[in-house]
Amino acid sequence: MAVINRVNFKIGGPAGSGVATVGLLFAKCLQRAGLNVFGTNDYPSLIKGGHNTYMVAASPEPVYSIVDGFDILIALDQLTASLHSHELTHKGALIYDSDKVKGGWPTDRPDIMCIGAPLTQMAAQAGGEIMFNTVALGASMGIMQLDFQILEGMMRKIWARKGEAVVQANIAAAKAGYDFSKEALREPFKVKIEFVKREKTMFINGNEASVLGAVRAGCKFVAEYPMSPSSAILHLMAGHEREYGIIVKQTEDEIAAANMIAGAAFAGVRAMTATSGGGFSLMVEALGNMGIAEIPCVIFESQRAGPSTGLPTYTEQADLQFVLHASQGEFPRVVIAPGDPQECYIEAINAFNIAELVQTPVIVLLDKFLSESSMTIEDVRRIPVQIDRGKLLSDEQMAAASGFKRYAITEDGISPRCLPGQRNGIHVCSSYEHDETGFTSEAPDVRVAMINKRARKLAAIPQPIIAPSFAGASEEEAQILLVCWGSTKMPMLEALKLLGRSGIKARMMHIRYASPFPARAVLSALMKAKNTLIFEGNSEAQMRSLILQKTGYYIEKTCLRYDGRPFTPEEICEAAKKAIERKMI
Amino acid sequence: MVTVSELNVPHMPQWCPGCGDFGILISLKGAIAKLGLNPHEVVVVSGIGCSGKLPHYIKTYGYEGIHGRALPAATGIHLANHKLTTIVVGGDGDGYGIGMGHFIHTMRRNFDMTYIVHDNEIYGLTTGQTSPTTKKGVKTKSTPFGSIDTEVNPPLLALAAGATFVARGFSGDIPHLTELIAKGIAHRGIAFIDVFQPCVTYRKDLPYELYQKKIYKLEAEGHNPSDWEAALKKARETDRWPIGVFYQEQKPIYTDEIPFISESPLAKHDISKIDISKFVEEFF
Ligand SMILES: Cc1ncc(C[n+]2csc(CCOP(=O)(O)OP(=O)(O)O)c2C)c(N)n1
Ligand code: SF4
Ligand SMILES: [Mg+2]
Repeated sequence: MAVINRVNFKIGGPAGSGVATVGLLFAKCLQRAGLNVFGTNDYPSLIKGGHNTYMVAASPEPVYSIVDGFDILIALDQLTASLHSHELTHKGALIYDSDKVKGGWPTDRPDIMCIGAPLTQMAAQAGGEIMFNTVALGASMGIMQLDFQILEGMMRKIWARKGEAVVQANIAAAKAGYDFSKEALREPFKVKIEFVKREKTMFINGNEASVLGAVRAGCKFVAEYPMSPSSAILHLMAGHEREYGIIVKQTEDEIAAANMIAGAAFAGVRAMTATSGGGFSLMVEALGNMGIAEIPCVIFESQRAGPSTGLPTYTEQADLQFVLHASQGEFPRVVIAPGDPQECYIEAINAFNIAELVQTPVIVLLDKFLSESSMTIEDVRRIPVQIDRGKLLSDEQMAAASGFKRYAITEDGISPRCLPGQRNGIHVCSSYEHDETGFTSEAPDVRVAMINKRARKLAAIPQPIIAPSFAGASEEEAQILLVCWGSTKMPMLEALKLLGRSGIKARMMHIRYASPFPARAVLSALMKAKNTLIFEGNSEAQMRSLILQKTGYYIEKTCLRYDGRPFTPEEICEAAKKAIERKMI
Repeated sequence: MVTVSELNVPHMPQWCPGCGDFGILISLKGAIAKLGLNPHEVVVVSGIGCSGKLPHYIKTYGYEGIHGRALPAATGIHLANHKLTTIVVGGDGDGYGIGMGHFIHTMRRNFDMTYIVHDNEIYGLTTGQTSPTTKKGVKTKSTPFGSIDTEVNPPLLALAAGATFVARGFSGDIPHLTELIAKGIAHRGIAFIDVFQPCVTYRKDLPYELYQKKIYKLEAEGHNPSDWEAALKKARETDRWPIGVFYQEQKPIYTDEIPFISESPLAKHDISKIDISKFVEEFF
């Protein structure tokens, strides 16, 4: 009996051979077949050569990470066959280019199906050697008996921009692979894909969802200097510049980017930049400027393994304490770490609303794993959105204003704001400490009043927005509370499934807001837990320190990963089991 | 319409008596009045330095950012609302030292903005260190044995970078500087004006009298400001110091090339109901 609609897939090859493209197309075909799909990549910092892989997991249920081995492996080169064949599941299929791969997979695996196809030759016949990866894609779909129309529809959509000739050639290449692999099978493949009818879903990664959220939130100005893994944000924004009326500027450096968005936000547009830790380092002085001058800006920081150049294309969660404390002096800032692409969309919108609500910089902390991992989510248009510009005054209000003070001391610390161009609002937006009018003041009483005013602002952010989220077993029955933040949510959700299957009752607490910190909710959950364990993608347990600082609660057990790779559900599961055992001894 | 006195603020500038910054402030106010701009539609942007305090001394909108970053901040303001008149002021350290990268890049972008540098050939606010325009050999607090670096030549750099209006003024000649700033603001594109600004405290060796002796007016000697090669030559003169317009040319400005702001500036776009349907469909 074939397994229906549940498959894990991996493709590997040198950089520049289209590994990610095939992986994405594989995922999108299954998404279009109505499945839930997760896709992620692994690649070194190289343009040509090296070893790249893309992995996909598809299932009738939501998928947040790759679990277990792979049912299909496409090897575009010898290295992939040698390195990854042992990851194939029982009766898994190895599809390889018979012109390039001459053996080299484990001989102790007679169970795997080896499908050697002359991918390059077949592509040449279909219209061009360059399509050898499309042939491979067709082959993988063939063995799963996916309705070819789905693949054809996908090809039409993806290649439409390149003209009908390219579309036809790719369809022919895919069909060649599709027919070949069906023929080549000794017995039916263990996985079969059957079309499931459902509402259209989106297949989207963290970067893309962040951009979509920013566009929906009315971001009108983007200034960015390229840096992996955030550059895709620049590209995607630039591609939609005219459609949505957004000025996208690649700047001379990140210092310029940060100061440009500060200027743009002061002049009244919702403005953002995106970068990684290195670029954020250059933005730090401007961040303080936004803080003291109360300028609403949004900064996306996609973490990669540091310090310095570090492992540029690998993931880490080690910038938490950095972004929380970056800049001299004290000022309120908001730090949000979404856990999956859907949260990226929602939190991007929250970020822009909060920035204007509390007139201070908001940092959205992503990481390479989240930025570049895609999953199926419901159509985001169903999520209700409100645009709230806070205490921004209209032209009419300003026309009637007199004695306007830009930095008026108010109960909630937030002052009414006006924009250059409006009447009766003339003031200086200043990086110096200033009085209520914006004029420079070094008087001790003014200084204290201003520090206090700014510090009060964060309380205006509604508690439900910053609350942590929970999943898994209920508070009462959970044997253990697994704490995580940011992208670790994704493997953690898969781990909860595994733990559930082995009869363990585990509960997840996922912290999204590092500032303002939901201290009461976090402490209450920790106090009620029978056992606690924190998972972080860094070596210093930075969130544990934050929790200790904010709640006085010290989580003893940690599971830390800092080899540049994201957590796997299996290791989370193992760590949880061990922590429970230790507690019982 | 505004008069010079309507641009005054209730407090006195905190510059040393006799500082060249006063002349620049008076000239800027004069130029704004002369052009009949509305003060609430003008933004004066600065970095940090003695010169950077200027936005506090003129009754227009102001933005005093961080040291060396006035140009990017002004770029953001200008792109967000290109209907405003954006004027950037700053010191030689601010613009040619820490902010040199932004200087070159802003000059090549042809935004419709004006950049006025208070060039006193010294770091004033930090009490007298060498600046990028301090001439080789000059003794300052940080170069007690004379500066070893060769000084930068700002008009030459601006010309090489592609600026469409390059000029130099002298803060001791207020009528001339007023005229020059008015021309710069009226110029459609990036207008760069380096201003000889005596620092009476830390450059006593560069007094008003010396400037008066050395400078001459380009327009008085028949310089043709549409001749770029001639402008280069003039910018390289060292024995006499030319003031006036070195170069001016008309070219499309940056915002001309952004179709969706031709009707109304970005800051006026409605963001309350953005329809992302087409974007969403890309992910189906
Ligand atoms: C990042 C940074 N570094 C150093 C300083 C200190 N600082 C303030 S103004 C200044 C130089 C001022 O010289 P200039 O720009 O020529 O302005 P002036 O005071 O001469 O008008 C320096 C170094 C600073 N504010 N910020
Ligand atoms: S130190 Fe020099 S530049 Fe600064 S205010 Fe005094 S005279 Fe002017
Ligand atoms: Mg100076």
